[in-house]
Amino acid sequence: MNLTAIENKVASFRTIDKLEPEWLYNLRKESWEFYNDAPLPERVTNVWRYTKPENFLVANAEEIMNTAPLIPDGSNGHPYPKNSEYSAVGYNREDMMTMVKIDPAVAGQGVIIKNLFQAARENEDLVRQYFGTMVAPNFGKFEALNMALWNNGFFIFVPDNTVIEKPIALNRHPGDNFSHIRLLAVIGRNSQVTLVDNYSCSGRAESGVDNSAVEIFGGDSARVKYVNLQRLGPQCIGYITQRARIGRSGNIYSIYGATGGAVSKMNAGTILAGRHAESRMSGVIFGDKNQHFDYHTLHHHQDNESYSNIDFKVILKDKAMSAYTGLIRIEKDTINNEAYQENRNLLLNKGTKAESIPELEILTDQVRCTHGATMGPIDPQMLFYLKARGIGHEEAVKMIAAGFVEPTIMQMPNELREMMRGIVTDKLAGEQK
Amino acid sequence: MSDKVFSFKNIHVVVEGKEVVKGVSLEIGQGEKHAIMGPNGSGKSSLVNALAGHPSYAITEGEAYISGKNLIEMDATERAKAGLFLAFQYPLAIPGVTVANFLRAAIKAKHGGDETVLKDFRKELTDKFSFLEVDKTFATRYINDGFSGGEKKKIEILQMAMLKPLVALLDETDSGLDIDALRIVSNGINEYAPSDGGLLLVTHYQRMLNYVKPDYVHVMMHGQLVRSGGPELALQLEEQGYEKIEDEVFNSVEV
Ligand SMILES: Nc1ncnc2c1ncn2[C@@H]1O[C@H](COP(=O)(O)OP(=O)(O)OP(=O)(O)O)[C@@H](O)[C@H]1O
Ligand SMILES: [Mg+2]
Repeated sequence: MNLTAIENKVASFRTIDKLEPEWLYNLRKESWEFYNDAPLPERVTNVWRYTKPENFLVANAEEIMNTAPLIPDGSNGHPYPKNSEYSAVGYNREDMMTMVKIDPAVAGQGVIIKNLFQAARENEDLVRQYFGTMVAPNFGKFEALNMALWNNGFFIFVPDNTVIEKPIALNRHPGDNFSHIRLLAVIGRNSQVTLVDNYSCSGRAESGVDNSAVEIFGGDSARVKYVNLQRLGPQCIGYITQRARIGRSGNIYSIYGATGGAVSKMNAGTILAGRHAESRMSGVIFGDKNQHFDYHTLHHHQDNESYSNIDFKVILKDKAMSAYTGLIRIEKDTINNEAYQENRNLLLNKGTKAESIPELEILTDQVRCTHGATMGPIDPQMLFYLKARGIGHEEAVKMIAAGFVEPTIMQMPNELREMMRGIVTDKLAGEQK
Repeated sequence: MSDKVFSFKNIHVVVEGKEVVKGVSLEIGQGEKHAIMGPNGSGKSSLVNALAGHPSYAITEGEAYISGKNLIEMDATERAKAGLFLAFQYPLAIPGVTVANFLRAAIKAKHGGDETVLKDFRKELTDKFSFLEVDKTFATRYINDGFSGGEKKKIEILQMAMLKPLVALLDETDSGLDIDALRIVSNGINEYAPSDGGLLLVTHYQRMLNYVKPDYVHVMMHGQLVRSGGPELALQLEEQGYEKIEDEVFNSVEV
């Protein structure tokens, strides 16, 4: 590293805040340096082939860096609404406040849901053990930027042998004020939880890059559902890096729904770190106008006899574009892993563009692995079938498009189906909520 | 234009640049049942698909009216709304769209979006399922997705029963049915086919006509109706095959 060259161009990292743990400060500082050292990603790998990295640069990075992280005065203690369909609801708000409402019964089980910055001080050992170990500063330039600048986020801890029936909802509303957010979730052994990580912002949000890093650690035999919904405003740029690691006999079901943003790039991955681990991913992306989606998935099988499956559906209309790249990596000397991947694209009109690239890095022979991709317009025969029953053209298109993703939605956990259907029908109606 | 419930005159159909129906005319009066028989590839499906408004089957010449309304000017949706129904020879699967939701949408569309028409929907559907001996779990299955040949045909008749068209064109609804299913489906047609409208059956075999008795039988060959008669014509075809008629009609010049 050429320090003098960097010092000439780049502002040195701010001084430590009085409430900031030193290890965290150092991590951020190191990340800031990594960010500045790292060149823009070269557009030669599939992960970067389809989207210009310049989209994710932040003009006022230095200004944000110089602002000490905002410390909210206690994000907990908000009254939990009776009969909520969620066991807890967290808000990352435009004003940089973090709020959490948690069912007292759930809190009583030892579950922690709080502002990540606060957790870094109050639950220091726990946070420090996991934080930034999967989406680390050296993951990539924009992940380092996130680590240096993050100013909002959640920490979730579920103790061993704890079943949380109702989902935990995390509502992220990045406005113009904050744009670097994180989630760290540590799920204990044999525990069960559903996380709904929902990104949306008011139409007022002019622009800005919403850069998010998500780390989920599932202990042995943990059962995790993770739902990532990207419904940002039409001007926003989304950049999300998410990693989950599941242990022996652990099970994760990850669902990605995306309808928002001008440019939306996601790198989602599960590391199957233990024997008999199981990971499923479902994706439903729906783009219109000039929207650009670039979704990458990773299934990394590190141990034996694990199972992964991806069912990724994309609907595009107007001039929307989607690139889906899916990497399956199976480590050498492993046996009897199974990995499946399917990506289907429905193109509602000419002028849309879809790419689908499977990537297989299979370093062993004893494996079952399949992948497939399709893309094309609505089948005119299907359209005729519906019209011949008196259904109008527009309505028929909507029914077929909704039907295209319906089998994927039907595979999703019961409590999420209506939500996913709603997202699709809103978008089909040309609305976005 | 005629005062018949359904009529068409001098219909020509072009598919993939090839004329496959070459000037076919027919009039179906109120309550009448007609059957069209004809060898493979003679244009029967092309005719009924074109009449229903299939975009691949262009009507290049001719007229068609359903209770006085000009069909040619309408798109497929409007034709269906005007009361025309086509039971497909090869019903297509529509993944993700359940039978019940599909029928609800179709019934609603037919009534200009009026939801109130659906108030007895569930009961009616259950009754008709049981009449056609279809398991009621089919309501929540995706249309024709993984259905057996016979199940598809039953669901076509179920759709006719639910949509109550004025004119039904049934394209080889009897093919692919086992003996029991043939009886059930035929009973379904007799029960639910438009009684004050018109019915046009396309079939290869006499066996269905034993159940659904046509008033008129027409023979189609090489894109034309070459013979018309009563039910006895179907029996005659069963005995003699198409060859004799073919010789008479198409080789008469040489004779
Ligand atoms: N979509 C199509 N594309 C190309 N050719 C077609 C198409 N549909 C029909 N044809 C052709 O038109 C002719 C008539 O076919 P049609 O399906 O109408 O016959 P049919 O009388 O219904 O036969 P069958 O008794 O076998 O059902 C055939 O030569 C057929 O190959
Ligand atoms: Mg046919």
